[in-house]
Amino acid sequence: MIRFENVSKTYKNGTPALIDISLDIEKGEFVFLVGASGSGKTTFLRLLLREEHPDKGRILEAGRDIGELPKWRVPYLRRNIGCVFQDFRLLPNKTVFENVAFALEVIGRPRATVESQVPQILELVGLSDKSKNLPHELSGGEQQRVAVARAFVNRPLILLADEPTGNLDPSNSESIMALLERINRTGTTVVMATHDKALVDRMRRRVVELDRGEMIRDQVRGVYGIDEGIAI
Amino acid sequence: MRVYFRYALKETFSNLWRNRMMTIAAILCVAVSLALVGSALLLKQSAAQASVLWQQGTRVTVWMEPTASTTEINGVRTQLADLPIVKSCDYFTQTQDYNEAKKLLPPNEWAVLTVSAMPSSFRCIPTVPSDAFLVQNTFTGQPGIYQVTTPGSQIREMNKVIRILQIVFLALAAVLLLSASVLILNTIRMAIFSRRREVSVMKLVGATNWFIRIPYISEGFVQGLLGSLVAIVAVTALHTWYPLPNEFHLDTAALIGTNIVVLVVGIVIGSVGSAIAIRRFLDV
Repeated sequence: MIRFENVSKTYKNGTPALIDISLDIEKGEFVFLVGASGSGKTTFLRLLLREEHPDKGRILEAGRDIGELPKWRVPYLRRNIGCVFQDFRLLPNKTVFENVAFALEVIGRPRATVESQVPQILELVGLSDKSKNLPHELSGGEQQRVAVARAFVNRPLILLADEPTGNLDPSNSESIMALLERINRTGTTVVMATHDKALVDRMRRRVVELDRGEMIRDQVRGVYGIDEGIAI
Repeated sequence: MRVYFRYALKETFSNLWRNRMMTIAAILCVAVSLALVGSALLLKQSAAQASVLWQQGTRVTVWMEPTASTTEINGVRTQLADLPIVKSCDYFTQTQDYNEAKKLLPPNEWAVLTVSAMPSSFRCIPTVPSDAFLVQNTFTGQPGIYQVTTPGSQIREMNKVIRILQIVFLALAAVLLLSASVLILNTIRMAIFSRRREVSVMKLVGATNWFIRIPYISEGFVQGLLGSLVAIVAVTALHTWYPLPNEFHLDTAALIGTNIVVLVVGIVIGSVGSAIAIRRFLDV
């Protein structure tokens, strides 16, 4: 589903963000991206969205080299990728329903589709009864669930999550994790950058660790720290 | 498509409403500058039309001395009638000239005039306009003749004044048009800035660039359009309520033509302003 081939990226100020990264992520996999701040996790995700270009190497998504996509095709690439962020990025003046519907409206989905899809996805994230609320009336965990609903309403093939539990307490983190797992079980590939050691340790999923731009670990059933898992 | 049309329309008008003070400023600036452009264009056309009409009917006036004898007057009349370069002549008596002066001059000036002090005159049309000067040369200095005038010098002076007015109008309009497009650019920039969260979410979920851009472009378009409509009303009102006299008066076709130019310039200004704003401030 996702393939990095010797990808390197250096920022304009000379800081290397990623150095010679090669890896494959299969369809339906759940991958944790761990590492200290500044290790290159966010760059990794931005490259997948083609918000950045690699300096060297190439990135394939669903067999296509995304570096070769013409600029006008990039939005269509992004329609297959859902995104969740630490700061939720909800629109404050829109209700829960409208926030989720917005993702469908801006890609030109007809009204009937919006009306049928949004309630379904709100049901999935357990927020059916809050569809008319504004984001500031919700707890952090609920806001993040809205963000997940928005990312998933279009049924993307890939879901990227950049520290989605970073602003949440442990119980809310658990519920977001459960949601991401559920989404993953529908066949969606999930790549999640995180600092949440407890979560990673408990989930025992594939862990890719970055350190100052280098991939120092790739374990099938890894934990946040070192060893224990089985290296590939 | 219909969904998008509705969306773009809603976005455009909510943006306009959100920044309504800036929007009003931009529209007024466009309106004032375009009203100036429109007036300058009308003035130019009037002046051109008047010059043509004057040239077609250039008149030579032979002013007789107030003391000229009937023989002298009749002599000039026969001479004029015999000249092939003169098409026709009308004789204005001293009384007629006095009455005309009464109409043309301010009261304090004609009050000192008397009928007996007024020259009588022959108002002649030369066969070919350029022969006016030949007629003037033939009669100047003859006994009983006070002076011979052609309107050529007045036309030249008037044209000069009109040209200066035009330059002033157009220069003012150019500066104002520039400030109008900068104002439009600024309102669009503010609209983009106030919606940057939405824009970033739109990008994330895969909205196409044009989907994001069109509401902002149409915002500039609407501002230019509204500004030019106000200007059209102003120019039309000016034309209708303060019509220029005689040879300067323009017909409706000229007004419509001018208004079309005003409309097109307004739309172009609005669209160009917003296009620049989008290029510079909307990173899609």
